Amino acid sequence: MRRMPIVVRELKKTYQVALQRRGALGALRSLVNRKTRLVRAVDGISFEIAPGELVGYLGPNGAGKSTTLKILTGLLVPTSGEVQVGEFVPWRQRRSYVAHIGAVFGQRTSLWWDLPVIESLELLQHIYDVAPGKFRHNLDEFRKLLDLDAFVDTPVRSLSLGQRMRADLCAALLHEPPVLFLDEPTIGLDVVAKERIRQFIRHINQQRGVSVVLTTHDLSDVQKLCQRVMIIDKGRLLFDGQLSKLQERFGGRRQVVVDFGERYEAVQVEGAEVTQHEGQRATFEFEQGTISASELIGRISARYRIQDLQVREPDIEATIRRIYEQRLLG
Amino acid sequence: MRTFFELVKLSARRQFTYRAAAFAGLATNVFFGLLRAAVMVALYGERGEAAGISLQAAITYTGISQAVIAFLDLFGWWQVIQSVYSGQISGDLLKPMDYFRFWMAQDLGRALVNLAGRGVLIMLFYAAVFDIVLPGQPGQWLGLLAALLLAWMVSFAWRFLVNLTAFWVPNAVGIGRLGYSLSWLMSGFLMPLRFYPEWFQKLCNLTPFPHMINTIVEVYLGLLSGPEMMAALLHQALWAAALTSACYLVLRAGVRRLVILGG
Repeated sequence: MRRMPIVVRELKKTYQVALQRRGALGALRSLVNRKTRLVRAVDGISFEIAPGELVGYLGPNGAGKSTTLKILTGLLVPTSGEVQVGEFVPWRQRRSYVAHIGAVFGQRTSLWWDLPVIESLELLQHIYDVAPGKFRHNLDEFRKLLDLDAFVDTPVRSLSLGQRMRADLCAALLHEPPVLFLDEPTIGLDVVAKERIRQFIRHINQQRGVSVVLTTHDLSDVQKLCQRVMIIDKGRLLFDGQLSKLQERFGGRRQVVVDFGERYEAVQVEGAEVTQHEGQRATFEFEQGTISASELIGRISARYRIQDLQVREPDIEATIRRIYEQRLLG
Repeated sequence: MRTFFELVKLSARRQFTYRAAAFAGLATNVFFGLLRAAVMVALYGERGEAAGISLQAAITYTGISQAVIAFLDLFGWWQVIQSVYSGQISGDLLKPMDYFRFWMAQDLGRALVNLAGRGVLIMLFYAAVFDIVLPGQPGQWLGLLAALLLAWMVSFAWRFLVNLTAFWVPNAVGIGRLGYSLSWLMSGFLMPLRFYPEWFQKLCNLTPFPHMINTIVEVYLGLLSGPEMMAALLHQALWAAALTSACYLVLRAGVRRLVILGG
């Protein structure tokens, strides 16, 4: 398989959005003198993705995730900046470029609405010029992994959202692209369907070495799949690195919840703050890096009789929310 | 080329999905055909001929023009418009293929099924009910086939061009309606062009529209001599080529606009 590293430098995309004036008079004035506002959807983003990486591109609605992905797939021309995927500049050689990538935009399908799934797939075989042997082999593998057999003869319009997404994933990979772009692949799916999609993405990344870039605002996608996460908001890249590093830097406090063997009037140890104490249960909160959990538990058990305890990691969702809200990385 | 044929085949097969709609369409075409034939009979009255067309030929004309409605999708084709507005177009642009040929192949499949199905059935019905004109020599049949194919190309390119306005206008359906009404009036669908005043005929002949229907009709009825027929077919082919080139130019500008402004 061809290796296609992705290089993005100082990527910017500005949209002109027409402003509507209020009222009839305003509408009339708008005809003559249109007011527009510039929206910076992507505002100077740089990153590199090596072949075989699985990267989560995370951000709230309107952060610029889809715009970036559209530029990477050649559907949008950036205002400035450079993009290189393998030997291609996506928007400059769109037609030859798209033969080497796979892309699924979660809200839409690339299959024919009123055709059975299998017929769409066979048509794609010709469009992508996939050799019959290769096509059969891939189709057999994906059918099993995605459990397509139940609906392969059903027209796309009658599929459930999860089934359609599975069919679309299969369609995007039959020509063995080295890079796969996924825009919100799990949006609107139930837990089971999400899990199946994630397993499949993991499989093609690990077994076939396909680089995957996926946008999502579902954190569990990232937690369960991605070695690397990029967080974007208001068109800027806020964080790029391991998810665990993000936790370490911005994770906030960890908790130890203790059930004591007897009732104590007050509980207190060095290095942690008691945030809750009710009956025989107390919650200790402590900063990461200042003290380890085992140290803290040692200190507690030295003074009090412990019956049971649990360590709670800070919620990653809360971490990310904090990053957006407080612009910790800005 | 293989992809093109696969698309034609697939689109042809797809036509059988909507059988009920196809039968309803056939019934409507036949009903209006009878109505139009009745109007012709009333218009001709005692006259045996008008503008070089006999009553028998005029009735046959109503049959032909009804028979090609579905073949040429005369009442409007909006698929590219819908694709642009729904954003489906980005899915199609992500496929490594020529966008014009992609739709052309699908329209050809649709057209062929409608010609062989609806078109032939309507003519058979006419042959059973009326005393219609039939092309005589084999040359005329060949000319008819060529005229039909070229008419489809002119019509498809025109419809595609109309659809492309969706890249620029937020409601292209209005423009589409205007475009399709023009083609009814000036193609000879409402009346044989020979019935119109001479200045209007001249005007029509400056446009591609007569090549959608009028050329088919005149070749079928044998109104053109051998060299005249060849000239008409050539003229038709030139329009097909010109409109196709226009489609490519406008499509390129439209896609450029889409990828710069965002969809």
